[in-house]
Amino acid sequence: MRSTRRTRTTARSVIAVVSLGLLAGSLTACGSAAREDTSTEKSGTVTWWGWTPELSVAPQYIEKFNEEFPDITVKYQQIPIDGWEAKLRPALASNTGPDVFGLAPGAMFEQFGRFGIDLTSQAEKALGSDWKSRLAPIGVAGLTDKNGKLRALSAGSTFAGPVWINQELFTKYDLTPPRDFDEWARVCAAFAQHDVQCFTQGVAQTAFNQDTLQAIADTINPGLYTKATRGEARWSDPDLVAALTTWKSMFDNGIMQPGALGVQQYPDANNQFMSQKAAMVMMGTWYMQYTRTEGMTPSIQAAGVADPKPFAAVPIPFPAARTGGTPGALFGDSDYGLAVNAKSTNRSAAITFATWMATASAGQQVVANALNDIASLSGVEPQWDKIELVNADVQRPALQEVIAASASVTENRLLSNAALATAIGVATTTVAAGDASPAQAAATLQSAAEAAGVAFK
Amino acid sequence: MFETRSRASRIVLQVLVTLMVLPFLFPLIVMVQGSLAGQGWENYRTVLSQPELPLFFRNSVIIALITIALVLAATMLAAFAFSKLWLRGREVFFWLLLAALTLPEVILLTPMFSISLQLGLYDTYLSVILPLAALQIPFTVLLARTFMNGIPDGLFEAARIDGATTWQSFLHVILPLTRPIAAAIVVLTLITTWNDYLLPLVFLQSPETQTITMLPQFFVGQFSNDQTKVLAAAVITALPEIIAYLCLQKLFERGLAAGALK
Amino acid sequence: MILSVGLVYICIGYTGYIATLDWDGSAPDPESVGLANFTRLFADPIFWRAMAHTVLFFVVTFTVQTVLGIVFAVILHSRIRLGVLYKIIIFVPVVLAPAVMAPVFRQIFAADGQFNELLRALGMGSLAHPWLADSATALPVIMGITIWQWTGLTFILYYAAMSQIDPEVIEAARIDGAGNIRVLTSIILPGVKGTTLAILMLSVIGALKTFDVPYLVTGGGPNYATEFLGTYIYRQSIPLADVGYGAALSIMLLILAVFFSLLVGSRQRKDA
Repeated sequence: MRSTRRTRTTARSVIAVVSLGLLAGSLTACGSAAREDTSTEKSGTVTWWGWTPELSVAPQYIEKFNEEFPDITVKYQQIPIDGWEAKLRPALASNTGPDVFGLAPGAMFEQFGRFGIDLTSQAEKALGSDWKSRLAPIGVAGLTDKNGKLRALSAGSTFAGPVWINQELFTKYDLTPPRDFDEWARVCAAFAQHDVQCFTQGVAQTAFNQDTLQAIADTINPGLYTKATRGEARWSDPDLVAALTTWKSMFDNGIMQPGALGVQQYPDANNQFMSQKAAMVMMGTWYMQYTRTEGMTPSIQAAGVADPKPFAAVPIPFPAARTGGTPGALFGDSDYGLAVNAKSTNRSAAITFATWMATASAGQQVVANALNDIASLSGVEPQWDKIELVNADVQRPALQEVIAASASVTENRLLSNAALATAIGVATTTVAAGDASPAQAAATLQSAAEAAGVAFK
Repeated sequence: MFETRSRASRIVLQVLVTLMVLPFLFPLIVMVQGSLAGQGWENYRTVLSQPELPLFFRNSVIIALITIALVLAATMLAAFAFSKLWLRGREVFFWLLLAALTLPEVILLTPMFSISLQLGLYDTYLSVILPLAALQIPFTVLLARTFMNGIPDGLFEAARIDGATTWQSFLHVILPLTRPIAAAIVVLTLITTWNDYLLPLVFLQSPETQTITMLPQFFVGQFSNDQTKVLAAAVITALPEIIAYLCLQKLFERGLAAGALK
Repeated sequence: MILSVGLVYICIGYTGYIATLDWDGSAPDPESVGLANFTRLFADPIFWRAMAHTVLFFVVTFTVQTVLGIVFAVILHSRIRLGVLYKIIIFVPVVLAPAVMAPVFRQIFAADGQFNELLRALGMGSLAHPWLADSATALPVIMGITIWQWTGLTFILYYAAMSQIDPEVIEAARIDGAGNIRVLTSIILPGVKGTTLAILMLSVIGALKTFDVPYLVTGGGPNYATEFLGTYIYRQSIPLADVGYGAALSIMLLILAVFFSLLVGSRQRKDA
């Protein structure tokens, strides 16, 4: 306040100059050369940022890793998913980023992939020249960029497509899991008579609507949905319009819970299923963690149940949209890959850790046993005798079936084009609300996809 | 303000305010219920036994105190100048300041990040305090200036005639009269600082500097979300703010007496 | 002061520059597109919907918050029992993070939520429906939550402002036979006019920036029914990583906010 006009102008011009410098600095920072590496392959301190795994799981990985590499210290920091991009973006653009960071395929890969070094030679060194055949193909494809550079090594994969059911509620009311939509509507009518909510989904969180729509479409015309996302088929295809029509029917025939358009998948729909208010929920293989007694009990408590009694949650194939059709759909991606920050000053140690997690059988076994992700190294399966399931008789065969089927999946779940994902979300909610007919929504979606840069053949 | 001479009218007023406050109370009840769902009081015990809690609490207190001191000092001086002193271009500067209120935090993140890196402030308290204060000051200056406009110019001029310098009359005449708005500014700055999530998330990296708003992250994961403990954490986080508000209550009232000074 | 203003103006300049780019926020080679982001903005139907919601939202929340804030402040300055308790209840929503309250409100307004239960208990069961799932009722609910959250703030400001009103003036008016309503309209309201104008200005800016409540409670949905300028800027800048367009929207916000603040300000000066 006391400052005269002159000092003000001086201050201003200083600020202006500084800001221009910063601008230039921050823009060129991304292209700057790699910094010195202060670590070795066997020693160093590695900072690892991820939105996943959970704080309860990550130390298990690190502990196992340290059995082999005691001189590498790994510090894990879990960052809430809703703040992930806001925090990671400036950190990577500067020199303050983590040494290892989680990277999901799709939109996140498009944004942050370029900050990771090419790990092809590391994978080759660890697994030999046929390294690609030893890893889940979907994990490699989703984390490789246009120039063939492998920007991250997939730690494990997740798939969507199945519907999870509460086996105990089905048994209690003597119901069998539906195989098609007619049966599904009948099951829901039966649950309604007992005042049990049938199926829950957080339609307000549109990312999960893509799962349901893709699953419906896959029972009508397998693979068509994925083709449309890649521009190899049109969204106005009659089979995709039929999928949207089926989606709409879920809101009219009592399958979908009332008010689904205002519900979020997390925590709302998840809590409804966990508190046994709803008998079915649309979730993917990440729900496998709740087949374990020790995974389920705390999450029932978290849903607000005072006296938690674990129940058998079982994945069933997605019911066929057409009566008598073939049920089942499975599509997915790497849950997260580990990328090594190109600007890391602990690059060697970081590479050791990322490679170990993704390619060493010891590392992948821990991943498999946590039942969070499906291991990406072929031949690694959960050690069932070491895992306590709520009801092994019912759950284990269903889980083994899903894990086996996942090995050959080539359809992606996550889309790299964020604008296309938004447009699909809009199509699902406009149809659900009755604001657009399935045909109209499909036409809108087609033009939105073209505007979003999808090249159609 | 309202006068209620008869017993009946006093009861009417009491009933009226009770009815008006019910919609405000209802969500709070649901919230507290939610924080006791599942494991009951155990939720609170789990939150309170997080080993990081004392550290986060301390960091939040430090950041809040420094920010409040900065904001209060800058605001009072600036509001005084904008309200009582005749400076050239006063209105222009006031509006320049106000325009600073309008940008959303999300948009400011990227430029603020590069600035804090260049100044070497990243991962220090200051990297959060300075942007917080900068974003808060325009808002508080607007409020304080409005309040000071309500203080008669005559008081200030009388002090000047009595031989007081500008500085003395500010300290001894104006400042004591602004207690109610100063209290409001302290409370509002405390709320902004205490509850800020985005800035600590982005600018504070090591657990040694992180704040209390980072507490719920221990109960929310990628595919898990323990609402009961998040709500318990929210109740615990809110308590210091409520206590601070209650402690400052008297300052809001004292203004009434000060107003009678003239 | 210089620091504060300086810091923010650097940011504004930077944002203005970004608004002319086609940039995802981290690519090393942003492409300059001139004013293309702005022409796109004027042709964007979602932008106009967001603007309409913002205007409606502003009118409703400002009016209700101001009225409630004044009434609470007047009543709690009067002789009333348990005043502290009322103050706390009105104040607490201000300090609760919207992120924490969002699931609570979704629960309250869900199909089987407490609000519908309340309606049924009051014999208005026919009104019960999933409030947030319906495009027609989601916006009013968002406004209600905002009012719940921010009335405490207007209350605090009015409560502080009313302490400036000289009790002797009120006493004199009473001796002249003025009733409560007359005291309110002739003495109290004029006495807090400056505060009302300040709150008006803050509400304009607040409405333009509205983000937390709609983003967290409804995510802008269903079908953009609760999209605001603030949520749209976020959607474009972060999930869609169209930082250039997001910056163009922010500049638009800045222009609107400055314009309306000046409008209010010029009125304030005229009165002074």
